[in-house]
Amino acid sequence: MPPTDTVATASDSTPVIVGCRRTAIGRAHPQRGMFRHVRGDELAAAAIAAAVEASGVDRQSIEDVILGCTQQRGEQGGNVARAAALMAGLPLSAAGTTVNRLCGSGLEALARAAHAVRAGAERVVVVGGVEHMHHLPMDSAIDFHPRVLSRSSRGALSMGLTAEHLAASAGIERQRQEAWALESHRRAAAAATAGLFDGEIVPVQAHDEAGALIRATRDQSIRADTSAAAMARLEPVFLPGLGTITAATSAPVSDGAAALVVMARGEALRQGLQPLARIVATAVVGVAPAAMGTGPVPATRKLLDRAGVGIGDIDLFEINEAFAAQVIHNVDALGLDPARVNVHGGSLAIGHPLGASGARIATTLVHSLARGGGRLGVAAMCVGLGQGIAVLLERESS
Amino acid sequence: MSTRPHGDRDTGDVPAGSDGAESWVFETLRADCDPAGIVTATIHVPGHRHNVVTQTFLLDLEALLDQLDTGLPPLGLILASGRPGSFFSGADIGRLETLLRAAPPDIEWICQAGRDLFARLASRPWPSVAVIDGACLGGGLEIALACDARITTSAPHTALGFPEVKLGLMPGWGGTVLLPRLVGPGAAVEMIAAGESIDGPTAARLGLADACVPPQQAMAAARSLIDWLRADNSHMARRRRLAGTVDIDPAERDFLAATSAAVIAGRTGGHYPAPPAVLDTIIAGLDLRATAAAKIESKAFARLVTSPVARNLVRVFRLGERNRRDTGVAAGDAAGTVTTPTRPAVVGAGIMGAGIAAAHLRSGFAVSLIDIDRDALARAVPGILEEAAWDRATRRADPARAGALAGQLRTATQTSLLSDADLVIESAVERSDVKLTLLRDIETVVGPTAVIATNTSTNPIARLARALRDPGRFCGLHFFNPVRRMTLVEVVRGPATTDATVAVAVAHAKLLGKCPIVVQDSPGFLVNRLLMPYLHESVEMLREGTPATRIDRVARRFGMPLGPLELYDLIGLDTAFYAGLVLAEAYGDRIEASPVIPALVRAGRLGRKSGGGFYDHSHDRAERPQADASATIAPLVAPYRLPERSTPDASIADRLFLPVVLEATRVLEEGIVRDGNDVDLAMIHALGFPPFRGGLLAWADALGAAEIVRRLEPLADLGPRMQPTPRLLALAASGGRFTE
Repeated sequence: MPPTDTVATASDSTPVIVGCRRTAIGRAHPQRGMFRHVRGDELAAAAIAAAVEASGVDRQSIEDVILGCTQQRGEQGGNVARAAALMAGLPLSAAGTTVNRLCGSGLEALARAAHAVRAGAERVVVVGGVEHMHHLPMDSAIDFHPRVLSRSSRGALSMGLTAEHLAASAGIERQRQEAWALESHRRAAAAATAGLFDGEIVPVQAHDEAGALIRATRDQSIRADTSAAAMARLEPVFLPGLGTITAATSAPVSDGAAALVVMARGEALRQGLQPLARIVATAVVGVAPAAMGTGPVPATRKLLDRAGVGIGDIDLFEINEAFAAQVIHNVDALGLDPARVNVHGGSLAIGHPLGASGARIATTLVHSLARGGGRLGVAAMCVGLGQGIAVLLERESS
Repeated sequence: MSTRPHGDRDTGDVPAGSDGAESWVFETLRADCDPAGIVTATIHVPGHRHNVVTQTFLLDLEALLDQLDTGLPPLGLILASGRPGSFFSGADIGRLETLLRAAPPDIEWICQAGRDLFARLASRPWPSVAVIDGACLGGGLEIALACDARITTSAPHTALGFPEVKLGLMPGWGGTVLLPRLVGPGAAVEMIAAGESIDGPTAARLGLADACVPPQQAMAAARSLIDWLRADNSHMARRRRLAGTVDIDPAERDFLAATSAAVIAGRTGGHYPAPPAVLDTIIAGLDLRATAAAKIESKAFARLVTSPVARNLVRVFRLGERNRRDTGVAAGDAAGTVTTPTRPAVVGAGIMGAGIAAAHLRSGFAVSLIDIDRDALARAVPGILEEAAWDRATRRADPARAGALAGQLRTATQTSLLSDADLVIESAVERSDVKLTLLRDIETVVGPTAVIATNTSTNPIARLARALRDPGRFCGLHFFNPVRRMTLVEVVRGPATTDATVAVAVAHAKLLGKCPIVVQDSPGFLVNRLLMPYLHESVEMLREGTPATRIDRVARRFGMPLGPLELYDLIGLDTAFYAGLVLAEAYGDRIEASPVIPALVRAGRLGRKSGGGFYDHSHDRAERPQADASATIAPLVAPYRLPERSTPDASIADRLFLPVVLEATRVLEEGIVRDGNDVDLAMIHALGFPPFRGGLLAWADALGAAEIVRRLEPLADLGPRMQPTPRLLALAASGGRFTE
């Protein structure tokens, strides 16, 4: 274990998180999705405004806004980070940029801010992510050059097929996947019922199935009433008749946004703010596109190696659940105790709004650590076309 | 190239041109060396409509390479076609059929010899470029791949592909070795295992071609490539790369193998060995150098060539080819002088009439559609235009095209519009009184040379012909539903129908993109007569207690696109009932009208169109479209239960298909069709009989007549329908074959 920095000075450029909020996550469904009448940029603006408000940061000190987003067009086009910052009422002096590491975009935004702050380049940066997968479906308007795939295959563009292959080659049976998904829903439902998400969710206007105006305070895809029997009845989605992966063991397509305020610890001290967590290290890796689900494993190893931390020292893991098979593979390969992984449920239950999910799991992790869930936490994600990204956070003792 | 001297190969070196440049002329190609030193070899294989890879071409290519080795080396070689629209359209099927009879070691030697020849191209110091304008398929694409670079053209006729799997084969001259090394294994598996072609721009994007240019730029582009390749000798680097192993991550290789195997298994149902062989060959060759990988290809190729599926698929290809050339009548005046109609008309705007009218529009005809019911016409027109303007690629009708086609469709409620028609296809309801009246009307309006046809499945042509003063110009033209999808058309000859009428009907059906078969007038004609025992037997088994799902599953596993009871639901049980009455009346000794069908009809279970027949059908896409309805059906079948009979799966297939073989022997005995080839073509095109089995009679031949007799023995108690026919017994005794 490296020594924990505790003494903060005004020149301390250690990147810390001082506030984070997310919207509830909606189903990306044209009739039932609670955000079907709400735009992605509105969700992003709501998350940014709430995170800034919660952090108490001096708004004039915000230098940049970095949002992750995979479908940067339409309502998420033209640099949605800048657009959302303007909508959120940030000072005109706060700049904005939008980044894309596909599913890892939200964590990428956090990592870039950390690097900038650590380098002394910026002092205060708002980061986050947004994705409205109903309005802008994940595979629309993408036209990969065939030569991108000359070292892979077209099947590798189907995340579901890569997960099926992972399940088959790692021997992860359907039953085990469904048990994980069931537990994900159970934990998420319990956390929601216990009010554990209340501190991280900013209510935004939405519509229920009948069209009535509501305040969205609860993630729409969490099912408290789901059962192993109900899951067992579903047809495989990606390999009908052959596969093991169903709608229950794939993350639901979702709409949502999340934002965090990152700043230099010295600046937080100067502004009289209490940091929630510091960003210790970040790591990205490339893997075979067909093995995209394995990405979190080498990314986490590289991350811990970089930080000089043993895997046994990590109290909490947030590993994005794109597929149950993928997260089970990651947990097995890293030798993790499932009790420490996604303690409040994962994206299988909460939903996976692609570009937002990294910021969402980081937000959930910061709140879990702050609640006393532990000192060190890792957020990790698999990324399409073969990547992994991981970020190590440490609670800032209050 | 207005004059093409066909030089002798041994003395092919003929000086030509006045500028001192050289030319060499061979039977299938001509090479011209320009003053700069670039040789352009132009391919023109005589005796075929398109360029095909013949033995002569291979010898000519070898001779050209010999020539180029003797003198001053050229700067580079451009390989192009002298035939617009065809670089190489594939293999010489005659040569392929010879290959089917060869022994595996000889086949492997032939593969090796071809590869060695192509390898000579890649071992010269100078670069070579193929200019691909038009079809470049199979062995032709392998020749193009043997060049250092390729230019494709953006012309719509340019198509590159390996269609071998469609004949149960795979590339045998290094296609499975070079393509993955050029475009990556994933794209290579997709292209070779599926057998679909790609256009010029796609080939360039894939990296299969270096560039795609307009046809008039192609030769200049090829020259530029030769310059550029020479400038840095990069053709040598390319050759080294293609000779080596494939750079692919093991995880990607395993993923490609597993996912492609699943896709292929889903598409082929395990019935077609070529696509999985392509996959295995490509995967096995990835970690090997090209020469070693090629040996694996040769062995796999030889295995496929000697497989029964390849033999069957080549046979089916030949049947189609023969049908396209067939005039439908014996050689003579009628066959020689067919004037196809230019002013066709359809009478009757029901489902069939509308489908036939749409087929005309789609094939570029202006067509008249007559129906006495103005509302029926109005209802039919939008559907006709949508069907005619349907774009298969976008899966929707092209509105601009529909608008243009509207001008080609004339509608009227009076038969007077028919006065200038030269072909009238009557397609009114299946009632002989209505048809007789209509046909009489039609004949009074049309000119004396117009051909009159009726689209019917149940009315004897001889009876309908009585309405006409000139029955010689009359025939049946039996389309199948849905017209847009069903390619088979029965041209039915009445006793008075002339050869000239038949020839016109056959030629016209071909212009509609259909596959016409001439059938003598008889109940059920050919297709429904062969369909009858198949459908009938499925209901008999149901009555004996065999579940519908099992019967259909066995049929599908046999290779049928639908099981017989599923087919009932598609046809409509009411329609099947009426058609069945006619057949039962004619062939009552072996087929009775099953009481189960009217029982279901009375219960409102008409099939898909009523939401349920033997199965429940749902239009909700979220649900399975077809669901087991055995609980609903059981009480309807119960009054007609037959003694319980345990039928194993193998016996289900025998019971479904052997009575069809028996019926086919009767059809042949009666001379309803000319020969067994027409039976097989009809079974494949109209009933979806699996092509990998080569056709019904090819399947029967694979069993052998004696074996069929043996398999019928335990079924003898089922009655006359399982009795061997004299023709079958004769074949069993002589060891003869059903097909030639």
